[in-house]
Amino acid sequence: MEENQNPVYKNKDYGQSRELLYSYENDGQYKKTVGFHGEPDRIILQQAWDLFGERIEDARKRVKAGKVSPVVYYMEKNLLDPMNLGMIAGISLWRVKWHFRPVVFNRLQEKTLKKYAKAFNITIDQLKNIE
Amino acid sequence: MVKLDYKHRQAGHCESGVTSNLLNYYHFQISEPMVFGIGAGLFFSHLPFLKMQHAPTTSFRVWPGMVFNRSTRALGITTINHRFRNPKDAMNRLNEVLDQGIPVGLQVGTFHLPFFPPEYRMHYNMHNMVVYGYDKETYFVSDTLMEPVVEISYDDLARVRFAKGPFAPQGRMYYPVKIPAEVDFKPAIIKGIRKTANNMIGVPFPLIGVKGIRYLSGKMRQWERKLGPDKASYYLGQVLRMEEEVGTAGAGFRFIYGAFLNEAADVLNQSWLREISFEMGENANKWREFSYLGSRNCKKRGKPEQSYDFLADMLLEVADREEKIFRKLAKIN
Repeated sequence: MEENQNPVYKNKDYGQSRELLYSYENDGQYKKTVGFHGEPDRIILQQAWDLFGERIEDARKRVKAGKVSPVVYYMEKNLLDPMNLGMIAGISLWRVKWHFRPVVFNRLQEKTLKKYAKAFNITIDQLKNIE
Repeated sequence: MVKLDYKHRQAGHCESGVTSNLLNYYHFQISEPMVFGIGAGLFFSHLPFLKMQHAPTTSFRVWPGMVFNRSTRALGITTINHRFRNPKDAMNRLNEVLDQGIPVGLQVGTFHLPFFPPEYRMHYNMHNMVVYGYDKETYFVSDTLMEPVVEISYDDLARVRFAKGPFAPQGRMYYPVKIPAEVDFKPAIIKGIRKTANNMIGVPFPLIGVKGIRYLSGKMRQWERKLGPDKASYYLGQVLRMEEEVGTAGAGFRFIYGAFLNEAADVLNQSWLREISFEMGENANKWREFSYLGSRNCKKRGKPEQSYDFLADMLLEVADREEKIFRKLAKIN
């Protein structure tokens, strides 16, 4: 573990906070240090954020191509999966998956759209037209 | 305006850190590892059918809330636990309790926490922090993950307290109300160690405890063949994230637990516990090595000695070590 070195992530906002880390030296001493996470931790965190970025970009392309509804894009943008989205919006899992089809999405009622908009913290206009 | 004289100390694990800080406020000296050990926080489970962030869930600790409840109950401390139906009631109650001069522990979701480090901002509803004062719309927060104390607005706090999704906090707040003058740590420590040993080796279910580590090792051998290199690498990354990140203080709580055993040896006056704490430390370093080699693998530098088979063998070795340690610990009295 590298101690007290600010790690460099791809995103400059990441890795700015120092945390308390425990460690054990083989002479039988437990140590507490306040410092930045080391390289291995950085790699695995970066891996997760890379995957999220890819999924968001992929979802955007598929929405633009008219293959899936904007719900998918906002779901990925909020780092959700269908189950979590269902729990947050108060819509059952099967209906959430059903709404992934553009045809179904286009004839959704105002009431349902409002639920999604509230879950994503956006307006209905933004929900219908992604940037 | 209320601002209590609350001492903020950083901690490795949010819940035991919060518990230890809350008790220290009442001049009840207890360290973070001690809380974690008495609350029997150490655990292992691998649940391939429950997906979290597109990968199977691996957990290194017990359900949220258990560490606080178990440790305070074992020490004979009376506590109050609240859940609420609507945010307004929850916030009013919080203000009332703060007015009485009591710092309050809260369970919150991390996704909408404004001060949280952005790299951890995922949907995780089991984070704990302490509110120790308020001024109109601003609340003073001590989050054990952060170095300084922070502030949060009324709306944000109401929102994170009522985050939805799995393990929704439902505005849960908790605080100790009555601490006995004389507390005997010995029976509490023994009970905690027994409970942990039972969790790790005594549960007849293959996904939990030492058996769970072996099960994960078996699964890991199949990942590359079944899922392809990309997904396998992400699954491995998920195990490592659960082990190293989000407030485990490293090596899936094994360092904290070792530190607890070291302290327990002094309190109970049993020197064999100290030897086991050294074994635990070596075991924790082995976990560290596992995560180090695993992260190399995640970076797609797949050399033969860092293959999934090699990592799986490493897990088996760790499982054997832990089984040995907990077989010894189960005999404590």
